[in-house]
Amino acid sequence: MNPDNDAGQGRSGVSRRGFLGAGAVAAAAAAPLMATVADASTAAEGEGLVTVRVTVNGDRHAMRVDPRGTLLDTLREKLELTGTKKGCDRGQCGACTVHVDGRRVLSCLTLAATTNGREVTTIEGLADGEQLHPMQQAFIDHDGFQCGFCTPGQIMSAVAMVDEGPARTDDEIRERMSGNICRCSAYPFIVDAVRDGQEAMR
Amino acid sequence: MTVSPVGREVARVDGRLKVTGAARYSGDYPATNMSYAHVVTSTVARGTIRSIDTAAALAAPGVLRVYAAGDGRLRLYPLAPEFSFFGENYIPLQDTTVRYYGQIIAVVVAESVEQARDAAALITVAYDAQPPRASLADGPREPSGPTSSGELSSVTVLAPGVASIDEALAASEVVVEADFEQPVQHHAAMEPHTVLAEWDGDRVTVHAGAQMPTPFTILLGQRLGVLPQQVRLIGRYVGGGFGARVIVWSEAPLAAAAARELGRPVKLALTREQMFTLVGHRPHLTQRVRLGASRNGVLSAISHESVAERPAAGGWNMLPGESTSDTLYNTPNLRIKPQWVILDMPGSWAMRAPDEAPGAFALETAMDELAVATGVDPVELRLRNYATVSPSTGRPWSSKHLDECYRDGARRFGWSARSARPRARVDGEWLFGTGMSSAAYPAARQAASVRIRLLDDDTAVVSTGTSDLGTGAWTMVAVAGADALGLPLERVTPEIGDSALPPGAPAVGSGATHSTVPAVVAAARDTIDALKQLAVTHSGSPWHGANAKDLRYKQGRLHGNGRSMTFGKLLRALGSRGVDATASEPAGAPSGYTFHTFGAHFCEVRVNRFTREIRVTRFTTVVDAGRIINARAARSQIVGGVIFGISGALLEENHLERDTGRLAASTLADYLVPVNADIPDIDVHLLDRPDPHLTGPLGEDGGEVGTRSLGARGLGEIGTVGSAAAVGNAVFNATGIRIRKLPITLDKLL
Repeated sequence: MNPDNDAGQGRSGVSRRGFLGAGAVAAAAAAPLMATVADASTAAEGEGLVTVRVTVNGDRHAMRVDPRGTLLDTLREKLELTGTKKGCDRGQCGACTVHVDGRRVLSCLTLAATTNGREVTTIEGLADGEQLHPMQQAFIDHDGFQCGFCTPGQIMSAVAMVDEGPARTDDEIRERMSGNICRCSAYPFIVDAVRDGQEAMR
Repeated sequence: MTVSPVGREVARVDGRLKVTGAARYSGDYPATNMSYAHVVTSTVARGTIRSIDTAAALAAPGVLRVYAAGDGRLRLYPLAPEFSFFGENYIPLQDTTVRYYGQIIAVVVAESVEQARDAAALITVAYDAQPPRASLADGPREPSGPTSSGELSSVTVLAPGVASIDEALAASEVVVEADFEQPVQHHAAMEPHTVLAEWDGDRVTVHAGAQMPTPFTILLGQRLGVLPQQVRLIGRYVGGGFGARVIVWSEAPLAAAAARELGRPVKLALTREQMFTLVGHRPHLTQRVRLGASRNGVLSAISHESVAERPAAGGWNMLPGESTSDTLYNTPNLRIKPQWVILDMPGSWAMRAPDEAPGAFALETAMDELAVATGVDPVELRLRNYATVSPSTGRPWSSKHLDECYRDGARRFGWSARSARPRARVDGEWLFGTGMSSAAYPAARQAASVRIRLLDDDTAVVSTGTSDLGTGAWTMVAVAGADALGLPLERVTPEIGDSALPPGAPAVGSGATHSTVPAVVAAARDTIDALKQLAVTHSGSPWHGANAKDLRYKQGRLHGNGRSMTFGKLLRALGSRGVDATASEPAGAPSGYTFHTFGAHFCEVRVNRFTREIRVTRFTTVVDAGRIINARAARSQIVGGVIFGISGALLEENHLERDTGRLAASTLADYLVPVNADIPDIDVHLLDRPDPHLTGPLGEDGGEVGTRSLGARGLGEIGTVGSAAAVGNAVFNATGIRIRKLPITLDKLL
């Protein structure tokens, strides 16, 4: 957690009244800092906020966030990265799965304040420009979704699953992908997609 | 030569948007000066609110408004009587009456999600509570409401000289009697209902998931006291429906009314917990099926009685004999008697195959019991009782290949290797068993309007206000348009999910596809006519002054008088951006026929001899749904439907607490739906036999306009019909234990 007056504030130029004013200076000072700051510090919302500096999809952000704010709500409402979905808000469905420092986490159970200094990757950060990640392409090729609402979480989970160590059997894919619910029930096609996506990732 | 995409394996046209996170669902739209609403729900099932203390919430940081039941601050209005079926029978926040546990009794609006949620927790409520009516067994029972066509829901067909169904049963050589019970089930779509409402003067734009975009504007307009044309519904991407997004519940009226009162955009997202009481459920149901038959299994009587929950707040009229006992088998004597019991429960609504899935579980389990009682193989038993005309109406089917579904399915599954004797197949600690069932689902065509616009870049836009809940409607519209216009798929742009488009087919009753395609064909015909008219009337056209009848459209080109040109080139030459036409097709289908999609399911389970753990190991489904538009999306729909059935058989249950009227489960950890590890590969085969009586306005290929997309019937729900019975029948074959109360959990097999 970063209290308001933490040592980092001066270095980053983050202030209670928002970052935009000082942002140009700070960005110049910290060359790679591509800060997009959500204007969270309206008068009504300003009390008790904490500062978080987090890299999301390669872009560095310095944000003032509500200490109660989850990473999920912060991504969606402050950074307008709405690809990450809220299916249950209590860690039971997997729709909000993102990567934090390369590991799959449930962003609804992760307070934004705990991501200070970390690297977050969301579904928006998976493709290489126009070139889809092999797992994304595999989900299209195998019809690994219907409504698509759980799909960002499924794909983020699948990519991390392969990184954790490839699945050796279809049953292992089923087991290791079972933290992500798909109510449309595309499960057999998700297994096909993950098997192919894993092969293409090698 | 452009090859029609109809019936091929077509990747979803919205696939890229969905795998990159770019597809915007209702909660994904930004708004300037957004505010966030959080609702507070009742904690008694019946009574009156004595007081609501909102002081602490109002004083909490960032809180903009608190609206409480009975405070009169948000004006909402009743639905017109002719629309009352499509909503609950009360208006949220307009009085202090509590009708069920989990009803909205206050709304907090704040600057942020966190502030609204935490302020909502500060609200305290005092009730004058009464004991709720919360038990189906307690009654009193009343006759269910009429069918959707207005007919009496009870059916009696008796052979000449037979006085009653009881007499017919008493005269039968073999009688099977079985009582069934199915619990409350939830749609549990992955996207919790979320509404963003933003007013501009007296017009409101609402982002929400809606299965019927145009009716949504009518219903929401009535709730808000404005005209439908003042409401625009945008719901291009919808995180699942399954019936829960057919009607307008409380969240959209409240969000829109709050946005109007506050003068700011309001986003209202229901929590997963709130989803269990605020957007409908499949009603609690008991059924009694009695079958009378000869010793060789030929049916002489079917009696199908049911008692369903009917929420006092309004809900679905359960008729589980429809398209099951009144459809599947030839029988000289038929009695269907549905009843309901009014309970103080959250509003219910149709859930995927709302009547047919519960009804088929009862009938198809009873048929398996008849197979056991007579010693006739279950597939053979169904063929012996094969209906060629509807047992209730006497009308023939427009197209029916259910016999082929049985035979194909049996062959693919390896049914002939089965032993009818329970517990015959043991492998280590596992008992293996197989079971099968039939499926039917009505194919009713809804009205639909489609606009097609041909553009000067040689592409076409096909627009219709239907909705894609994950069904593949985006792709279906593109496929039908490409076929009708003879264009490559990538040159057709579909537009759906917006009430500003021509009114599209409701995404209900498995009807969107076969309701939309005739209108696409008609719109293509009319647009080509408009193109020809432009060609002969525009002074800059090479065909100026020619007779339109001498022009012929083929695959994106106009031909005539020795010339040929693409429509794009013609439009460019005329300086025109595009030419368009809109066509509408009415609801209904040719009279004199009965329209159904059919299917057959075959299931293998293994049940642990010691723990009674149940695993589905194999599943084969063969479906006769007429013409297949997109083989890939169709297979996905069937697989999803079958898994709904497996889930209903083995997992899903919400227990109604008799003392409190509370539904016990409110999260995805205590309301179980399948995860990946619960589901095996599922083998689906689609017969692809075009329905000759659902051919649309042109009949067979009229020449210029492609008609390969015609002759389809729906398939979104058929997979859910009967699949639970196939699982249960397999469990019986494995264990010798017949479970008639769902879900079939291991404790029931101990």
